[in-house]
Amino acid sequence: MIVENTQTQMRKGVLEYCILSIIAKGEIYASDIIAELKKAQLLVVEGTLYPLLTRLKNNGLLSYNWVESTSGPPRKYYVLSDEGRKVLEQLDKTWHELAFAVQTSIGERKVKDGSER
Amino acid sequence: MNKTIIININGIVFHIEEDAYEVLKNYMTDVKRHFMNSADSLEITTDIENRIAEMFNELLARDGKQVIIEQDVNAVIGQMGTVADFERSEQDTEPSFADTYYNTGATRRLFRDPDNRLVSGVCSGIANYFDINPVWIRLAFALIVFAGGAGIILYIILWIVIPKAVTRADRMAMRGEKQNLEGFRRNFEQEMAGMKQNLSNFHNEARPFAYKARDFAGDFGDHLGNFVKGAARYFLKFIGVAILLTCVGFMVFTIVGFVALLSVGRFEPFHNLPYTLLQHHHANLIFTAAFLMAFIPLLCIVLLVFKGIFNVGSINRSTGTTALVIWLCAIGVFVYYSIGIAAEYRTSASYSETITLKPAKDNTYYLTLNDLKYFTAEDSARLNIKALAPNMKITDDEDNDFDHYHQRVGLTIEKSDVATPVLIKQYHARGRYYDDALTNSRNIKYIFTQQDSLLKFDERFYAKNDDLWHDEELFLTLKLPLHAKVVVDHNVDRICGIGIYDCNELNKLDHNKVTNATFVMTEGGLECKVDTLVTDTIIRKHLPVDSSKIRVK
Repeated sequence: MIVENTQTQMRKGVLEYCILSIIAKGEIYASDIIAELKKAQLLVVEGTLYPLLTRLKNNGLLSYNWVESTSGPPRKYYVLSDEGRKVLEQLDKTWHELAFAVQTSIGERKVKDGSER
Repeated sequence: MNKTIIININGIVFHIEEDAYEVLKNYMTDVKRHFMNSADSLEITTDIENRIAEMFNELLARDGKQVIIEQDVNAVIGQMGTVADFERSEQDTEPSFADTYYNTGATRRLFRDPDNRLVSGVCSGIANYFDINPVWIRLAFALIVFAGGAGIILYIILWIVIPKAVTRADRMAMRGEKQNLEGFRRNFEQEMAGMKQNLSNFHNEARPFAYKARDFAGDFGDHLGNFVKGAARYFLKFIGVAILLTCVGFMVFTIVGFVALLSVGRFEPFHNLPYTLLQHHHANLIFTAAFLMAFIPLLCIVLLVFKGIFNVGSINRSTGTTALVIWLCAIGVFVYYSIGIAAEYRTSASYSETITLKPAKDNTYYLTLNDLKYFTAEDSARLNIKALAPNMKITDDEDNDFDHYHQRVGLTIEKSDVATPVLIKQYHARGRYYDDALTNSRNIKYIFTQQDSLLKFDERFYAKNDDLWHDEELFLTLKLPLHAKVVVDHNVDRICGIGIYDCNELNKLDHNKVTNATFVMTEGGLECKVDTLVTDTIIRKHLPVDSSKIRVK
């Protein structure tokens, strides 16, 4: 239980940081975000992304544009808002601090590669 | 060979096999249910639907087929993730850093507890809400009851307002249990994960009772609101039914009145109304107009109220327009004739006629009503009155009173300044112009006969042209010399209010046997002649001792 809890805590913050980072690279469609996240092995199913994107959008970090599609309904292309950009900068800073903290804490201890996931 | 169904996902049409459709439908139902409690549920599900439509399109294009099969749907669901996947990942993401902390833990709801009740479960329900022993609440109520009895009223109000926990869900909500497994799990996770936020909201947590009291008030307000809403709805329905019944009553009344007016020419409750004021050839038109004027709005009110209460039946546009036009026409007709008729009463004229009567020998006059019916020359010729035997007579029928109510005469008896008795007749009538009014008043015919000391009055007067009413009035003034004795028959009471019955009462006479009363003309007017013998015995009866010494004048 405690293990799962800590994992949850760690993954939670990282996921949103990653999503914001992916969108920061330029206007992007939801399924492309999923593709990136899958590649990063953070999120596996698409359906979970939509509530996340909606919430980030409602919090003013994202906005989207409707783009006509040849293969279906119009698509929502997400972009980072100014506020989202500010938040991302702060998160970048925090991430570096965390990475440093984690690296320092681990120190010389051997850490197994978690690539089985 | 398989049956296909055509579905529409946000404006894009797909052919889908029946089996595949069932799977997709169930999946979408699950997804919608899962996001139901989210504020953005519509947006999220629309996004998911759009993405599904897009994936279907890609699949169809890739495989070059036209119909979606179950395999495709399963592939799409696999990519999109099942509700179980959503739940798993939501544990990771739910309390986002961007979200402000809010308590999504189980909130208790206020219900009456039927499982643990003494009277109706109000006390144990409140105790459940605050999570304390019901004994304390009961004790508190008992104290308020003894302290003035307000507790009873409060209890009854709470009883009415707070709903009983009927379903299992109600009872769980009452005890603050989350109603499903995922909710429970989420709540648990949140408690662990949200420790930090909880710390920052420490001051909120430190005042749980204040919050509970606030929520309690809120819950109570909710129930009260629902109760008031429900009560108001019933009250409105009650008022509606009352209006409905009243209107239907009036409708029946107008129909009965209309039929009575058309067939009989008069309507009993309004017998005082001189229906002869209407010209006969217009009467039915005016009655019809008046009827429509009253009936159409009543009908409309009934239909609208009916629609309002029971939500059945209504007036469509063309019917409504027709009814409105008919109603306006009826008003037009009615107003036109009303003004025309009113103009007939513009001016009034009156004149008086004085008849000198023969003085009676012993200065005693007998007053009575003439019960003979008066016929005009034409009528008596038509009815062949003269052919009647001399000992037969046609009497006026009292039952016809209603028809001639407005032709009643009024009689007053006064003291005459001279020694001879005099009868003054004052005629009055109205007309369009003064000439007409005067003619109308001169057309009044009244029959008064004197046979020595017997004065016979007719109960009513006659208008010469009997078809129309012109507000004719006749006042009779009988002036009798001083000290004249007047014996008045009791039927004169119908035209003259001098208190015949009172006078008989004063003389201790049974008015069933004695049909007249005796008056005397004094300086101050007509006075009841009191029989001294009778009054003497009355006084004696009332004064038990020494009454013989009292002398009565």
